[in-house]
Amino acid sequence: MNRAQNKNILIFLLASIGLIVLPHFEHIPNAVFAFFYLLLIWRLIGIWKQNWLPNKLCLFILTVCGLALLYSQYQGVLGRDAGTRLFIMALGLKLLEIKSERDLYVITYLAFIVAASQFLYEQSLLMAAYILFVCSALLATLICINSCKPNPVVAIKTAGLIIIQALPMAVVLFVLFPRVEAPKWMFFNEQYQAKTGLSDNMEPGSISDLGMSDELVFRVKFIGKLPPPRERYWRGPVLSYTDGKKWTQIKKLNFSHYMDKPVFNGTPYQYTLLMEPQDKHWVFALELPVEFTSPVSRNANYQLITSDTPDKRTEYNITSYPNYNTGFITRTEFKDATQLPNKPSDKITQLVKQLQGFDSTPENFITQLLTHFRKEDFHYTLTPPLMEENPIETFLFKTRYGFCSHYAAAFVYLMRVAHIPARVVTGYQGGEYNKIGHFLEIRQADAHAWAEVWLENKGWVRIDPTAAIAPERIEQNINIDQLIASGIINYVPLSENAQQTLDWLKQSQQLWHNLDYSWQRWVINYDNKHQAIFLSSICIDDLKAMLYWLAGLIGSITALLSWLLLYEKRKNILPEMQIYQYFCKKMLKHGLVKAKGEGAKDFGDRIIIEHPEKSIAIRKITDLFIKIHYGKYSTSDDLKALKQLIKHL
Amino acid sequence: MQNDTQHLLEAANQIILGKSHKIRLALCCLLARGHLLIEDIPGVGKTTLAHTLAKLLGLQYQRIQFTSDILPADIIGASIFDPKNLTFTFLPGPLFKQLVLADEINRATPKAQSALLEAMEEQTISVEGKTYQLPEPFFVIATQNPSHQIGTFPLPESQLDRFLMRLELGYPNQESERLLLQGQNRRSLINSLPVKLTPEQLLIMQNKVSEVYASNAVLDYCQAIISYTRESSDYQYGLSPRAGLALLNAAKAWAFLDKRDAVIPEDIQAVLAAVAGHRLKSGNNDSAAIVAPILAKVAVQ
Repeated sequence: MNRAQNKNILIFLLASIGLIVLPHFEHIPNAVFAFFYLLLIWRLIGIWKQNWLPNKLCLFILTVCGLALLYSQYQGVLGRDAGTRLFIMALGLKLLEIKSERDLYVITYLAFIVAASQFLYEQSLLMAAYILFVCSALLATLICINSCKPNPVVAIKTAGLIIIQALPMAVVLFVLFPRVEAPKWMFFNEQYQAKTGLSDNMEPGSISDLGMSDELVFRVKFIGKLPPPRERYWRGPVLSYTDGKKWTQIKKLNFSHYMDKPVFNGTPYQYTLLMEPQDKHWVFALELPVEFTSPVSRNANYQLITSDTPDKRTEYNITSYPNYNTGFITRTEFKDATQLPNKPSDKITQLVKQLQGFDSTPENFITQLLTHFRKEDFHYTLTPPLMEENPIETFLFKTRYGFCSHYAAAFVYLMRVAHIPARVVTGYQGGEYNKIGHFLEIRQADAHAWAEVWLENKGWVRIDPTAAIAPERIEQNINIDQLIASGIINYVPLSENAQQTLDWLKQSQQLWHNLDYSWQRWVINYDNKHQAIFLSSICIDDLKAMLYWLAGLIGSITALLSWLLLYEKRKNILPEMQIYQYFCKKMLKHGLVKAKGEGAKDFGDRIIIEHPEKSIAIRKITDLFIKIHYGKYSTSDDLKALKQLIKHL
Repeated sequence: MQNDTQHLLEAANQIILGKSHKIRLALCCLLARGHLLIEDIPGVGKTTLAHTLAKLLGLQYQRIQFTSDILPADIIGASIFDPKNLTFTFLPGPLFKQLVLADEINRATPKAQSALLEAMEEQTISVEGKTYQLPEPFFVIATQNPSHQIGTFPLPESQLDRFLMRLELGYPNQESERLLLQGQNRRSLINSLPVKLTPEQLLIMQNKVSEVYASNAVLDYCQAIISYTRESSDYQYGLSPRAGLALLNAAKAWAFLDKRDAVIPEDIQAVLAAVAGHRLKSGNNDSAAIVAPILAKVAVQ
């Protein structure tokens, strides 16, 4: 039976290939995607309508069309995207050219490559599970091709078994095999993927709707106790310069030599921070970071900056002290932190005056201002009205609706009017605690802005005006607006059942996040560095030596196994049998094949019927062989004689 | 010595025409100390074959016609009250003969069948606490009608296994049939047959057969056949160890008849259909067809 014509096998193969290409939908152009599935469906129809399949010329034209399509979508043949598309196109075209069993193998191996190429785009746990699933389907196809009675159910079972058996080996190889860093050129033409995130400037007046992305920014696992929510300020860029609307970073930060040495006290928090890929070099540490590992440095704004590639998921070990005194302020800092774009308006000066900004201590002014925010009709909202002109004034006196940026900007502005050094700090605040994995998840929606004021004898002090307006935003990390918007909070009181379901949902979500965290941390992030650390923890220090050992071990095991296999075979073949097989080979040239179940005597008789002229020699050989092989008494001379006889035949 | 068997076979071939291979197998069965089951429709010469062999071998011969009302006592004998001595004396039944022809064995009830079959296995008969030794050599030729015929009790597998071989005689070919029709009455021919072998010679031959050498290669082949029947889906169950022994013994006898002192795979192949045919259950009832896949698929070692 021709396996290439077997309907079951073909359907199975096509189905698994259809599944393999499916997740590529996101990365390959729609036209290529459609072209591929068109070919697949054509082949599927071809199972029943053999003569509908394209002939050689048609296939050639299709190939040219496919290549043209690829070229039109992508100029070039190098790189990840072009390579993947080329493979997918080749797979689709090869489907229409199944003639022999060999083609089935070629297609299956191509499909394996396409399946693996998915990992160049996405390495999530779900995707890995999916790829594992489609690979077992492919494996089942291979099993079907090689079995007498193709049965998909049995084949899938066997494939599952094979994969389970292979897993320990895969784990060992994963742990021990040297991690090869992908060469940069492989990704050089990768399209720049814009990532939404914290930007290096802030313009609260021009935003009317703060997008609340659920995208993960980083995860933190604490060693020891967790800081309370009100201390969870993850410091990002510090914005000191303002033109009245926009707040930006100071580019020149070369005054760090003149800065005072900060004094830290209280109990430190020790934690591991796993940054998701980003396009900036920022590491969001808990205020204020003291100890951190090498590629990370702290700039003059006490912000952590990494010199590592930011587009990779990276882990950092950091220690932070919640209580600190940064000491005196440098002249540059003071200048930057009291900068104002122009003379403040009378209204603002009036307000500062009213709040005793000019004639009391800074501490008093801060308290007065925060009380002002709280007492007056200020509101916290994520959908503030636009404030194009004089945003701070508009906010303070007209709209009074805003989110953290508005409050931080207004606060800092007023401080500066009162000649108190102040600046805006952006970053993240809070984070969701995963009870199962015991780590904090910080998402884009946790982005925050607060103010920092320099006070005599205290140094830079964090003041969060948003806390005065919406303390629940800080204390409980509940973003009411967001919750309402996403439908988690409802004004209709929830029934008990619904509440339970919600709890259950929340729990399973946390479990999933925990799984994902472990996956990212232990599998995706397992690089050369981690490998070295892990290996040295199990007393393997020299990677090279271990490699040699590994290669030697695998080599010797392979050699041993193959020798055992071959030896077993050799042992079974007796010398007279070897000679007799040589005789059978000779007879093969005469077109006489010894059947599997045919004895030497019968075979000899058959040869004599075909070649009566050789009857004497054949009879002698047969008798001698029977005597040696089956008889009780035979000598080594018999063997020699048999050899001679066959040689002279 | 093999010349004597040659003469014997030639003489038998004069009586039963065109069945030389079957006669050879029957003799082979006898030499291997096994019992023979002949299965075929009535009138193809089952009884004649048994009678001929008995005559040529000079064995005491007794025929037991099995019917549905035969009782074990009718076969093995019974104790009868002797009024003179006021004792019970055991009167041996027809089984106490060297060659017993159990005709139409599957027409008897299972109880009567088992009486015969126990005797076959043990070569002794126990009646009322006393054990009686059956004569040497002891050889049972049973005939049976195909089980689809009316009034038959098919032999269970366990009892079929006691027979070393099962033969199907089949219809004679055209030439033999013509000769048969032309020739004399078979019964008178049998009566005029000379004795070709004495029972003593037969016993010696049986001993010689067990001395035939079976090399490792042959044993490998034999085992390969057995495991094939156990693993293949063609058969409901495989050959038992007793069947394996039977196969080897029959092959040895075949080699002996072929004047060889060692078994070769062809010997096993020659007797396989007769030895394994009734021990394997497959869709087919024809012995040759049952073992055909074995012969084709098991590699000769």
